[in-house]
Amino acid sequence: MLPLLLALPLLGAALYEQVQLTAQSWLDEGLEDTALTLAGQVDIRSGEPRIDISATMDRALRFDRQDDVFYLVLAPKGDVLQGDAGLADVLPRPTVQPAGRSHYGDVKLRDRELRLVQLGHDCGVGTCQILVAETLHKRDALQRQIGSLVALTGLGLALLLALAAWWAIRQGLTPLTAMSNELEHRDLHRLAPLTASLPRELVPLQAAFNRLFQRLTRAADSQREFLADAAHQLRTPLTSLQTEIELALMEPHDQRVDPLLHRLRQRVVRSARLAQQLLSLARTEDRNVDVGQRVDLRDIATESGQDWAHRSLPAGVDLGFELAEAPALGHSFLLRELLENLIHNAVSYAGSGARITVRCGTGPEGPWMEVEDNGPGIAPPDRPAAMQRFRRGDQASGTGSGLGLAIAGDIAARHGGRLELLDAHDGGPGLRARLSLPAMPGSIPAV
Amino acid sequence: MRILLVEDDEQLVETTARALRSQGWVVDCTARGEPVPRSLREDAYDLLILDIGLAGIDGFETLRRVRAESLAVPVLILTARDAVEDRVRGLEGGADDYLVKPFALTELVARARALVRRSQARTSNQLQLARLRIDQEARRAYIDEEPLALSAREWDVLGFLMTRAGKVVPKEHIALASNAWDQGVSDNAIEVCLSRLRAKIEPGGVQLRTVRGLGYLLEEIV
Repeated sequence: MLPLLLALPLLGAALYEQVQLTAQSWLDEGLEDTALTLAGQVDIRSGEPRIDISATMDRALRFDRQDDVFYLVLAPKGDVLQGDAGLADVLPRPTVQPAGRSHYGDVKLRDRELRLVQLGHDCGVGTCQILVAETLHKRDALQRQIGSLVALTGLGLALLLALAAWWAIRQGLTPLTAMSNELEHRDLHRLAPLTASLPRELVPLQAAFNRLFQRLTRAADSQREFLADAAHQLRTPLTSLQTEIELALMEPHDQRVDPLLHRLRQRVVRSARLAQQLLSLARTEDRNVDVGQRVDLRDIATESGQDWAHRSLPAGVDLGFELAEAPALGHSFLLRELLENLIHNAVSYAGSGARITVRCGTGPEGPWMEVEDNGPGIAPPDRPAAMQRFRRGDQASGTGSGLGLAIAGDIAARHGGRLELLDAHDGGPGLRARLSLPAMPGSIPAV
Repeated sequence: MRILLVEDDEQLVETTARALRSQGWVVDCTARGEPVPRSLREDAYDLLILDIGLAGIDGFETLRRVRAESLAVPVLILTARDAVEDRVRGLEGGADDYLVKPFALTELVARARALVRRSQARTSNQLQLARLRIDQEARRAYIDEEPLALSAREWDVLGFLMTRAGKVVPKEHIALASNAWDQGVSDNAIEVCLSRLRAKIEPGGVQLRTVRGLGYLLEEIV
């Protein structure tokens, strides 16, 4: 842009110069025509050059609407044959021109600036000098006109150029702005390639971004795979350890080691659960997991209920279900894992004597599922922190890893839903963790 | 009772087999699925415990071949917990029950016993759960050798629950168990019946648990 702006005055100057020269040369030719007319009037009489100019012709020769025209015809020896003798006093002094040659020059006559043409004319006995000069009004006016014309044109051109440049930059930057907006809102779990249709100049930039995404995705994938592998590798020996301990409890043994074996079993179960949670964390972030399958939250809760019915809950824990139809789009393992974490969380927070209720149904906004307990609850200001990884509440009885709610939140987000920690329904103490999923497309919500 | 255990994790095989043997059962182990149909043909097994993730042909294929030969042995499949689709596939492929790893050994033993019991119920009229025994033909129930005094409804419900021991049975299914009930039987009537039944059978080492909102679960006290 800058070079263009610098070139513009130079171009203007060159154009001005060129037009100016052409115009000048036309005017000069006019002067020379006058000189040639005069030369045509010179003849020889009795060996002497003579010239006869009638008054009419004189007027015709001198006629000009703007300028004063002067002429002078000099005999070869320098005698004035005709015209304005004063013209011989121009400065710089005219030099004698050979016959048939003409010379142009800017001269001064008593402080008036004139344009002069001097023509050498063979008049038989030597070379006569014919001088024709005119004042510069016409030329100055023409110069001003050309100058302003060129300046105006240049200015217009500059304006047009600036406008074009502004438009081009704006056009060029709009896709960039759109692209940076899209980049701003990119989900790190789903680095799909950018597919905006861009001007040809921006395509390489987009391609570079897409290659970067690919590398990032590969890096994230390998990290996730590592997490999954590590968790899996950890889970297998922990499972074996758990069965070994259970076997020791089943087979004849010294009853005094019973408390030790039970404690050991509890710790191993907890570690195995942590490994399981890490595994499901890896699954949550796996882009290949399809969260768009048709599921019913009621089936998921029923299945979970069947499993929990067999597990030994802490003394006096009452786990109940109030289930209604709740068709949703999701991934059953992940949703099952979410519920598992919520129930686990309720069991470990509410402690013995707890009443835990799992509910699901379809609301005006879509399918939902919640787990309510009557434990100590979490104060509203502490709830956001409880959703973070490896944060454990003060009341946790020690079986939680601090991952449960965070994983549940991740799974909810992965489904485009949300997980909220709310007060218990009846206004008493306790916590209600509620999952809300987007409504099924085309479903009529039951009120 | 004789069990064929198909599992390729050596440690898991060892502990699982020992746990099953501690119940006085005979356990044969193999790590691969290919020889399973032949083994089942040659020896009379009461139960097949089948892991899904095997080297060579997997558990599903093994199950398919077993069922293709019309071998009617009850099958309990073992799946990894994160492979939720496996359960459905396994049950549709002819498995009778599934257990998700990691499982508690006590649960494995209980499920194995329940499966064998159900399978025997198809061929014999006697069903046993802990010290509780029912004779379906005679419509009589015993704790040890002591006969229980049950009403017709109570007997229908007990028979229904015994064939589904270890599973949570929804209340509405229980309502269908007895002809002695009208179509529109009240929840309350069912609860009264179940609580009477509970008092009568629980001395036999079993418990009839209410899972609030889901149904009732008859199981051995472990």
